[in-house]
Amino acid sequence: MKTETEQNFVEQLEKHQNIVHKVCRLYTNNYDAHNDLFQEITIQLWRAYPKFRGDSKFSTWMYRVALNTAITLYRKSKRTITTQDFDGVAFKMKSEDYDDTEEQQLKILYKAVHQLNDIEKALVFLYLEDKDYREISETMGISEVNARVKMNRIKKKLRTILNP
Amino acid sequence: MDGLDLLKKDWNKQEVVSKLSAKDILPMLHKKSSSIVKLLFYISVAELFFWILVNSVPYFVSDTYRARLDTVYSDTLMIGLTIFGYAVILLFIYLLYTSYKSISVTDNAKRLMKSIIRTRKIIKYYVLYNLIMVGISMIIGVYYSFHTDPNAIEFLEKTGDKGMMILIAVTAVFTGVLILIIWLFYRLIYGLLLKRLNKNYKELKKLEV
Repeated sequence: MKTETEQNFVEQLEKHQNIVHKVCRLYTNNYDAHNDLFQEITIQLWRAYPKFRGDSKFSTWMYRVALNTAITLYRKSKRTITTQDFDGVAFKMKSEDYDDTEEQQLKILYKAVHQLNDIEKALVFLYLEDKDYREISETMGISEVNARVKMNRIKKKLRTILNP
Repeated sequence: MDGLDLLKKDWNKQEVVSKLSAKDILPMLHKKSSSIVKLLFYISVAELFFWILVNSVPYFVSDTYRARLDTVYSDTLMIGLTIFGYAVILLFIYLLYTSYKSISVTDNAKRLMKSIIRTRKIIKYYVLYNLIMVGISMIIGVYYSFHTDPNAIEFLEKTGDKGMMILIAVTAVFTGVLILIIWLFYRLIYGLLLKRLNKNYKELKKLEV
């Protein structure tokens, strides 16, 4: 039987699950690994939930726990070693919104982002999620200036990949 | 369009194909975590018990060892050392406990990594302390043998200084190899376990330069 707290938590997670899926998409490269990480993030969120005071938004709080789990706590299980080309396993692109060149570029970009290291991925993720540099620096524990500098380097790197 | 801008445009349009329902999520809450903190915790508890066992089992299983220790324990120095040993174990248990309590998944990434690394360091010092104690025990053991064991005394009378040198050399090499093997084994376990964390922590530290 589920308790009221469990119910509240599950409802919130169900509503905001997209955030966790996006993190999993960035840090894993196959379906099993995606589900494995999703589960670990859920466990960590649930464990930290008693300390969630509600003074920040549930989604904001989720970013931190999800990223921390992905880059620090998560231990890749044996299952994740199996390689399977990751290409939109859990997501679909609205290809009608793009012309052929853009769609091609997007594929290259996703591939390039996947090749970044864990920290760079985290910065890119927060940037894509429209977080400002203050929030990025607070989540990662680095200064705002350094977050900005690093982001600029990543942007440059991706630009070079797109236009070699 | 800038690379990341194009990505951002698409990113916000992403839709999860296989959305999970509350029914799918609920069982996940009670699944076992496979996080490195949990594994680190198990390893530290195992190490605590391992070294306590290493230090106390011979006392209970070997009569000669117990008899020898009982004579040795009449010495005030040995009693002092034993109390010191237990105090150190208690100190490590306390340090590990507070260190684990300070690991919070809601901290920022750098602080979280730092607190995990600090916990690992405490375990490292505990192992190091025990290895040093193994070395010291060996030296004390050999010293007492020279003075109390009739076989050792007889051997020394026959061989003189040369015999003593051989005994010291053999003990030193044996202790050194033993400590080295345990240390390498330990480095391997933690090296594998925390490889990714250390890499990411270094990467974050690099950003500060």
